[in-house]
Amino acid sequence: MKIAADVRRHLTRHLGPLLPIVGAVAVGFGVCGLIALWVGLSPRLMFQQLMIGAIEGPQLFETVARAVPLVGMTLAAAIPLRAGIVNLGADGQLALGGCAAAIVALYLPAPDLVRLGVALTAGMAVGSAYAALAAAGEIYAGVPLLLSTWLLTYPAKGLCGYLVRSPLRDPSTAWPSTARIAVGSRLGSLLPGTPVNQGFLLIALLAVAVIFIDRRSSVGFELRLRGLNQRFARYGGVALNRQTLGVMLASGAIAGLVGAIMVLGSQFRYTDGALTAPQYSWSGTLAALLAGGEPLGSVIAAVLFAALQTGGFAMERSVEIPRVLTMVLQSIVILFLAMRGAIWKRS
Amino acid sequence: MAYLEMIDIVKRYPGVLANDHVDLAVERGEIHAVMGENGAGKSTLMSILYGLQSPDEGYIRFKGSTLLLQSPLDAIAHGIGMVHQAFKLFESLSVWENVVYRREPRRGIFVDGARARAQVAELARRHGLPIDPEARVSTLPVGVRQRLEILKALYRDAQVLILDEPTAVLTPAEVATLFKVMRSLAAAGCTLLLVTHKLNEVMAVSDRITVLRNGRVAERLVTADTHVDAIVRAMTGHHVTLRLPKQPREPGAVQLEAKDLRVEQHGRRVVDDVSLSVRGGEIVGIAGVAGNGQSELIEALMGLTPVVQGSVLVAGRDVTHASVAAHRARGLSYIAEDRARTATAASASATDNLAMGFHRTAPLARKGLLQPQAMRAWASSLIERFDIKIASPETAVGTLSGGNLQKIVTARELAHNAPVLIAEQPTRGVDVGAIAFIHGELLAERERGRGILLVSAELSELLALADRILVMYQGRIVAEFARADADEATLGLYMAGGARA
Repeated sequence: MKIAADVRRHLTRHLGPLLPIVGAVAVGFGVCGLIALWVGLSPRLMFQQLMIGAIEGPQLFETVARAVPLVGMTLAAAIPLRAGIVNLGADGQLALGGCAAAIVALYLPAPDLVRLGVALTAGMAVGSAYAALAAAGEIYAGVPLLLSTWLLTYPAKGLCGYLVRSPLRDPSTAWPSTARIAVGSRLGSLLPGTPVNQGFLLIALLAVAVIFIDRRSSVGFELRLRGLNQRFARYGGVALNRQTLGVMLASGAIAGLVGAIMVLGSQFRYTDGALTAPQYSWSGTLAALLAGGEPLGSVIAAVLFAALQTGGFAMERSVEIPRVLTMVLQSIVILFLAMRGAIWKRS
Repeated sequence: MAYLEMIDIVKRYPGVLANDHVDLAVERGEIHAVMGENGAGKSTLMSILYGLQSPDEGYIRFKGSTLLLQSPLDAIAHGIGMVHQAFKLFESLSVWENVVYRREPRRGIFVDGARARAQVAELARRHGLPIDPEARVSTLPVGVRQRLEILKALYRDAQVLILDEPTAVLTPAEVATLFKVMRSLAAAGCTLLLVTHKLNEVMAVSDRITVLRNGRVAERLVTADTHVDAIVRAMTGHHVTLRLPKQPREPGAVQLEAKDLRVEQHGRRVVDDVSLSVRGGEIVGIAGVAGNGQSELIEALMGLTPVVQGSVLVAGRDVTHASVAAHRARGLSYIAEDRARTATAASASATDNLAMGFHRTAPLARKGLLQPQAMRAWASSLIERFDIKIASPETAVGTLSGGNLQKIVTARELAHNAPVLIAEQPTRGVDVGAIAFIHGELLAERERGRGILLVSAELSELLALADRILVMYQGRIVAEFARADADEATLGLYMAGGARA
């Protein structure tokens, strides 16, 4: 009996927060099914194609490859969100991180492995520093983070765009991009023949670390309680400004790392706009919102989104159902989840 | 048959039976007190009488006929008025405009201002409510605003007036004036229902008392024939000692000291050059009407609000501009006034709430990692020691009653074993049993040599616990008394700013 009670306690403690997500996802699928019916498509065919496109055969590796940056950007959004802070500038930190990694990988005279390590570190450092700029703005000048993170995106993208158009431009391509990074400075393939590279390991490790810190460390405790009641955290002695700075440093570092992984692992050059075009930071913010910043839930949501997106591409190709429907699905899920305040508090 | 009757009233909320077959009978011209602890059902009963809620069962009879109230407008139309705890006034309008609002005397499509002013002045004079009809509400003190609320109800021909905790924000002098007004209204045939939990006021002004407990009528008493102890027994269902023995004690060294402390908000001095000291084994009380700078003073002492001038010393060390964490580390613990918004996180578990402040050091954390076993054991031991009624340490504290939530806060802050405890309104809105428990704990801590700075709006609390009492008025400390030299009347005079040298 005691074991059963223990199991139940652990289930409610660890999976309890996931219940609203499951509900919202179910409603989302339901509504999309209805939309399909309404325009004369078979919901069955749609979901079947979506599923096949997401996980069947080689498609599974497409999903995993897409999940790597998406999970990364989700963590970059989830860490601040856990404390009730929103980092809308992940795109800028992502671009700067990718650009810095490309520059190091191309021009640092050092052995291959060192150059790779420094490139990854540089991506994190630059993303981190840029995010800290926004945090400093809030702490010392009172500029709201919501505003500063978002607005600082444009100069970051602009700077990277300038660099690859003018001083770093590879004249052999039609695109504004750097030269190609040598094989030795790249993140190698993890499973030959698939798009999954070693970045997968880095992000998986990172996710485990973030979940562990969130659940088990004093730092995670302070972050979580600030998210639940900022006044209480302040009253209890949590140094809010220092925490804001720390959170933004971590978030920016992760966004920068994702940029570095994308450049070093799959694109092999920094091309203007290529890192931000898939809108990973946007999907990541949604996934983190879905789980209220709780890292395990956020990661699960991010993987689900990655599957939906690859499934959507495949569905569009094979049966010509527009993949915008998967974006509709994502939006409905978020909207329903936003209602949880009303629905889930009552029970 | 009584003048006003509420018969067999039942009101259910999900999971709670707020009113369980309640009968209330009130005679014309009577001052009838409705008493009970938080959650006893008195607010529900009064909101049914004022048409804010409709009962699931039962009905209201007034002057011999049954009333069906759909809304407060119905109640007002039948002559039932209510003065809420939080006033509902237009701050930027004048007194007469507030009184006649939506019932203006008209001339054509225009408001007949001259007639309205005259009516309001006449009404105020007839009921002995001195007030200037032309004054802007924003310039009026709280006691006068309450008078205005009463006037509003009388203008709408209220024959029954419900007063919800009317003295909560008043100075003792204003309370005395209110009671005089209440008696004269009753003498003129108006019926008053007084909702309160303050025993001395009930004894002073009411004719009869209905005591509610757990949604039922626990007792009906005639004030002249009863005693405070009997009311407390009816409210709690058991005997509670309100007078706790206090041993004389020599205070020790100074633990907390403020020198010429100044805090400004919007260019105004909300704390104006305050100096005070608290020694070990001493309870220093701060009296004052809410909003005279007490909260700001405490926030400045804790490092929660910036200090413009002056200094704060804890155990002799300057912490004026240090962080909250540094204040706590140097030896302050703090029971904040607002337990639900500041002193706890409602959706977090008792374990998390009780761990706050202990979450970085052994035994609850080692090398930066939380020790879940130790955290649970810690929470369980505090829950047991303070007799907190909670399903489990994992339960979110937002589900607790006011008294139990306050015990969570008290338990955590006392556990810090800091040399100084700042207790801000430590028993506001909690039940009588919890008040007795918390008072007992504070006195025991004084015995152990802790210095306590106690801010309270309840003079009875200060007189029962404090060794010295300071009075705050408009951001300044205007008087200081040894306990032996303090009494309600004198303190009240200083609280109202009436005795400035």
